[in-house]
Amino acid sequence: MLLEQLINGITLGSIYAIIALGFTLVFGVLGIINMAHGEIFMVGAFVGVTTTGVLGWPLWLAFIAAIVVTSILGYLLERITLRPLRGKKGVSHLAPLISTIGVSILLENLSHHIFGAGNKPFNTSFSEIRINIGSITIYLVQIVIFVISILLMIGLTIWLSKTKAGKALRATADNLETASILGVDTKRIIILTVVIASAIGGIAGVLVGMAFNSVSPQMGLSMGLKGLAIIILGGMGNVKGAMVGGLILGLSETMLVAYGNSGYRDAIAFIMIIVILLLRPQGIFGSKVSQERR
Amino acid sequence: MVRRYLKKEGDRLLGEILNTYYLQIGSFILINIMLAISVYVPLSSGQLSLGSAGFMGVGAYTSALLTLHFDLPIVVGIIAGALVASILGVIVGIPALRLSGVYLAIATLGLGEVIRVIFVNWDSLTKGSVGLTGIPQLGREILEFARGLGFEPSMIGIKNNQFVFLSIFLVLLILVIAILWFVVRQQNSRVGRALSSINMDDRAAESMGINITYYKVVSFTQGAFFAGLAGALFAHVIGFISPADFAYHRAVEVLIFTVFGGSEVIVGSVFGAFFLTLMPEVLRFVSEFRYIIYGIILVLLMAIRPQGIIDTNLLKIFKFKRSKGGVR
Repeated sequence: MLLEQLINGITLGSIYAIIALGFTLVFGVLGIINMAHGEIFMVGAFVGVTTTGVLGWPLWLAFIAAIVVTSILGYLLERITLRPLRGKKGVSHLAPLISTIGVSILLENLSHHIFGAGNKPFNTSFSEIRINIGSITIYLVQIVIFVISILLMIGLTIWLSKTKAGKALRATADNLETASILGVDTKRIIILTVVIASAIGGIAGVLVGMAFNSVSPQMGLSMGLKGLAIIILGGMGNVKGAMVGGLILGLSETMLVAYGNSGYRDAIAFIMIIVILLLRPQGIFGSKVSQERR
Repeated sequence: MVRRYLKKEGDRLLGEILNTYYLQIGSFILINIMLAISVYVPLSSGQLSLGSAGFMGVGAYTSALLTLHFDLPIVVGIIAGALVASILGVIVGIPALRLSGVYLAIATLGLGEVIRVIFVNWDSLTKGSVGLTGIPQLGREILEFARGLGFEPSMIGIKNNQFVFLSIFLVLLILVIAILWFVVRQQNSRVGRALSSINMDDRAAESMGINITYYKVVSFTQGAFFAGLAGALFAHVIGFISPADFAYHRAVEVLIFTVFGGSEVIVGSVFGAFFLTLMPEVLRFVSEFRYIIYGIILVLLMAIRPQGIIDTNLLKIFKFKRSKGGVR
């Protein structure tokens, strides 16, 4: 029982971590909270549902379709809503936040009009495959989700620290102007960041659809809120913090559902935000200097 | 003959002006203006609050439950609702406001969601997602009160329900004018100047000796108070509330009132709430796509005119024109 709950918690936590990664990448480079990230994730989930359910495509193709669609969305998000605000005089630091809120309600209500309000089931035989070890049942999907999240995390860390593009990205994150003077194509790097973050969100969307077998236009908001809670918990703009924070939130939510009042599981994220802001505002892995008063 | 015709026509006009439908829309506009101000005040010190729907819900539920279960007068309920909302504002505001505005936005967004979750799950008290019904209505209470003084609506030639809606409208109007007066007075005071200096540059303000956390909490709490007040009034005007009334969408809607109308000047909030409440009523086909339009409005505004429709320059033009003809 406990072991099964632990596995469920780790699965949920891995999904949260993947979503938080998208937030943390954009925040790390641009210093912007991308409020539309949850909705991009939701679009990814709907692409998964339509391609596998309506069109009958295989699962791997659904992943590619979701990545393509969310990457395009990410590109449009950067070109239309974020770039016009960058470097403009007299624009308050809240402008990108408000602008991405606009994108988020636009996307949510568009999919509400297109797909309807209800939950859509995710029809794939893949999510039925399970392994029995003694009394414990593990679904293959759970393993896949965990592996994908670990791979994404390792891949991202290596990419950021070892490759040329990753180094350029970190330079841009550190100081946009200096990086630009030193010959980094910052425009391209920023587009790359937003597109990668959105694609990660799309992957998370398909994974969530598989794991919970239901997709709805409202899921973007609650998932987005949890992603935000995690990056505050783990430290803004910190890849490791996103993973650990995601696992903490996933495990504590699963434990509350199993041994407490399941109705309040959505409240945990918020309580975490308040506690962490009181005790350690820079987050578990954040450094004090860089995160203060951003 | 002519006189009788004129009297008849006069009655007809009075009836038209006191159309309950118009009065109700007017009341909604006034409540929305109050909500828009609740976003405007924190925003004038550079703090973005996404919790207005949550505070509104707290005010509404507090007042509704107090009047339903303890038979308290509506006035006491409304004041209690606004106070509870502002206490909650202090509790959430202090940890979040020590940091930058981004943290406050996230914390208030989370707060709004948690409040909604509590309303849905605390079945024994809040009746879950069904919501509360049979909340004492403000207009009826005023009617009872007026009758107690020996006044009948028929004495001034209007029907009972017209009197009910008219009295609600007038009470809201007085409250909105009082709030506007307070906010404008505050802006020209030491507190207001401290708030706008924080909005311009919080570090510079801090180095000038302004206690920025204190003033941020003050402005944020005022916002929570106004939102709670608006929520409590909303409950007693409508008569029934449910958690869905106070979801994230409501918070975004309120934010759009202020951002669309103009976040630099208070006239902007009033205009935004007025225009955007009236628009779906006048253009029926718009109301279905309201949130899609809101989304597009937000994106376009931030790119083209981040200060909103009405800003200080626009007001200056009007003032200039007026002073030309007037005495200077």
